Amino acid sequence: MKLDLRSAIGRLFLYLLLSLGALAMAFPFYWMLATSLKSPQEAQQSRPVWIPERLKASNWRAAARLGAQGGSPLWGGYQAGRTITLRIYTGKVGPPPQVRIPSAAGAFFDPRAEGSQIQTRFREGYWEIAVTNRSSQSFRLLPLVVLISKSYPSYQPELPPDAVRSSGDDWRLEWVNIAPGALGYVLHNYREAWNAAPFGRYFFNSFFTAGTQVLVGLLLAAMAAFALARIAFPGKGAVWLLILATLMIPGEVLLIPSYVLLSKLGWINTYYALVVPWLASVFGIFLLRQFYLSLPTDLFDAARIDGASYWSQLWRIALPLAVPGLVTYGIFTFLGAYNALLWPLIVTDKPEMYTIQRGLQVFIGEAGSDYGALMAASTLSILPIVLGYFFAQQQFIQGVARSGIK
Amino acid sequence: MAYRPALVLGTAVLLALIRLAVELELLPGWIYGLGAALLLGVTLEATLRAFRLSLLPGLGLLLAGIGLGYSAFYALLLLLAGVGALYLAWSPQMSEREQAAFWGWLLVWPAVGLLLVWQVIPSLYALWISFLDRFNFIGESRFAGLTNYEILLTRDPLFWKAIANTFWFVIVTVPLGILLATLVAILLNEKVRLQGFFRTLYFLPYITALTAAAAVWDWIYNPEFGFLNWLLGTPGLDWLSTPKGIFALALAPFGIELKGFWAGPSVAFVAIMVMSIWHLLGYQIVVILAGLQNIPKEYYEAAQLDGASWWQQQRYITWPLLSPTTFFLATLGLIGAFQVFTQVLIMTPTGGVLQDTLTITLYLYNKGFRDSDFSYASAIAMVVFVMILALTVVQQRALERKVTYEA
Repeated sequence: MKLDLRSAIGRLFLYLLLSLGALAMAFPFYWMLATSLKSPQEAQQSRPVWIPERLKASNWRAAARLGAQGGSPLWGGYQAGRTITLRIYTGKVGPPPQVRIPSAAGAFFDPRAEGSQIQTRFREGYWEIAVTNRSSQSFRLLPLVVLISKSYPSYQPELPPDAVRSSGDDWRLEWVNIAPGALGYVLHNYREAWNAAPFGRYFFNSFFTAGTQVLVGLLLAAMAAFALARIAFPGKGAVWLLILATLMIPGEVLLIPSYVLLSKLGWINTYYALVVPWLASVFGIFLLRQFYLSLPTDLFDAARIDGASYWSQLWRIALPLAVPGLVTYGIFTFLGAYNALLWPLIVTDKPEMYTIQRGLQVFIGEAGSDYGALMAASTLSILPIVLGYFFAQQQFIQGVARSGIK
Repeated sequence: MAYRPALVLGTAVLLALIRLAVELELLPGWIYGLGAALLLGVTLEATLRAFRLSLLPGLGLLLAGIGLGYSAFYALLLLLAGVGALYLAWSPQMSEREQAAFWGWLLVWPAVGLLLVWQVIPSLYALWISFLDRFNFIGESRFAGLTNYEILLTRDPLFWKAIANTFWFVIVTVPLGILLATLVAILLNEKVRLQGFFRTLYFLPYITALTAAAAVWDWIYNPEFGFLNWLLGTPGLDWLSTPKGIFALALAPFGIELKGFWAGPSVAFVAIMVMSIWHLLGYQIVVILAGLQNIPKEYYEAAQLDGASWWQQQRYITWPLLSPTTFFLATLGLIGAFQVFTQVLIMTPTGGVLQDTLTITLYLYNKGFRDSDFSYASAIAMVVFVMILALTVVQQRALERKVTYEA
């Protein structure tokens, strides 16, 4: 087989292959994002919807106008005393549409449905549906169902319905929120996911535990690595042997005994359990020791002659010069801590202590077939890491490359 | 003075570790007395041989720490303060070597102490638990010897199912992943424009959490509305609930029936493998790309002068010189296969139909945290430990001679 990649056809083939691969790698991300912006009916199509209705700019203006009527043009709402008027363009007058507010699943009494007044009237070319909030309560969403006769040759609601179903002689149009506001319209699933579980708390827990692990871990690893690389002390060989030996212990072995130890300490469902067992990192000690060994010895000898203590040698010389190693370690440890599921699954069972992965895992179990909200939550969970990755790509990739070469 | 400061420090840490073990009911209380006596002896010997008044505060703190530490765990911090005060009093007379000994140990103790408490002791503890009979927090447990291992190795089909799945996982994902990654890396290394762009995209899956990634793939595999079924034109195919082995499926039209292990990994497990290859591929590409860039360009130039084709260059230069990198990735893949958990838990929470996607770690998790049988789970962990150790040793031996190190 002769393949000359320098010829024009060879180049074309090369780029074609690479693009195809890139497409396969990137597709799940596109699919996650696209689904997160879809209405349930759009998501549940046997034939994929490539661009969700909610991404079409023409709908944003209607969403903003309806949102402004109920609350704010950005996030909408259904505040006390407000009236929301939806237009459905039918051209000519016919049987009036029947409108109702669906009550929440399983609810006996829905204050939104009870406290609203609905009027329909025909104006030039369109039906105007006015829904007025007569109650003293404000609501975040206003779902609506409209039955419109199939005798109309065409009907054109101002805001496209989230679902259209056939119901006898009528079309049944369903909106999950008729007064969404522009952002509330596009990001509907995100808002619902965010409200369905304490994701803010999850994010805080993840960032706090991963951040502590990185900072304290860095300090401990830097100290140990400095001693192992630059200080001659009795018993160093034994320490090094111990560290090498712990490298061989697979993570599974530690799950059960660590859990038992943590329970005996009363640390289950605390930050200690999420952080402390992972503070000493053999990987970090290895990496930084390698770095310190590569620094010229004269540097440290000179400092020693000038009377610098080991402590100030560590802080003034070793740490500043090992910044690339520290960054690599920091990224790896943060990624590992942020992305971990198994450990938080074992040591936390209260929502206040869930990390984002644990929270997402529970949410996946609860969301059922609400794929839009599911994908919205998934997108949210990976967003901080992906953003960080786009800002500091070089560090991420070089760090990985560095870990592969001894 | 020799290494006495370092010795006092070491004994103080030892006492703290003993105290922790007593707190955790791993050691009886009187061992603390033994440790305290040892610390006291070492300290008194060190202070009394060259006594000065400036040593008194340190000595006092140390004594207070030993005394209070028995009842209140956090009083052990006084020990540290005591050692610090003693060091300050001693340091003017300390030689360079003694300084080095003290500082060396002072700097490694925090990491070493944590490693001892959270890695070494738990490993030994796991071994002990595995000899007990159904150890958990609910009831009493008796020493049962090797019963757990006996059940596990001879009478537990699920364990062997999990081992078989791990085997298939390694056999499929490791070579396929490395092959794909090598291909992409070689292509990317060909002075491609937009190299950075491609690399960024290929690497993206690796940094995303498996939880979210598995949720998306679960959605792509969805039988009714999944993208894959639309793409392949197989509506209704429930990838993740199909326990049939792929070899059995492939050979069924020829009238050959395969059962058990030989049926191969189930369709569901292969679906999980595909997702796993996708997740790790970017990492493998970046590592191989770094390996490729370490190969001197002169070799290729010389080969081109000799008229070697592109294919020959890859076969006789790239592949052998890349072998340390592929070896590294293979070892990593082998160890990683024993730890597959998150994607299986998300995509098939119960371990699949007929437990066809059960992996070792999921089985261990189920036994330990769903059935609350810590002993049995620890026995699984120990067997896995030995297996990984044996496999890596075998792999090292087998491949050592065939791997070309250093050009």
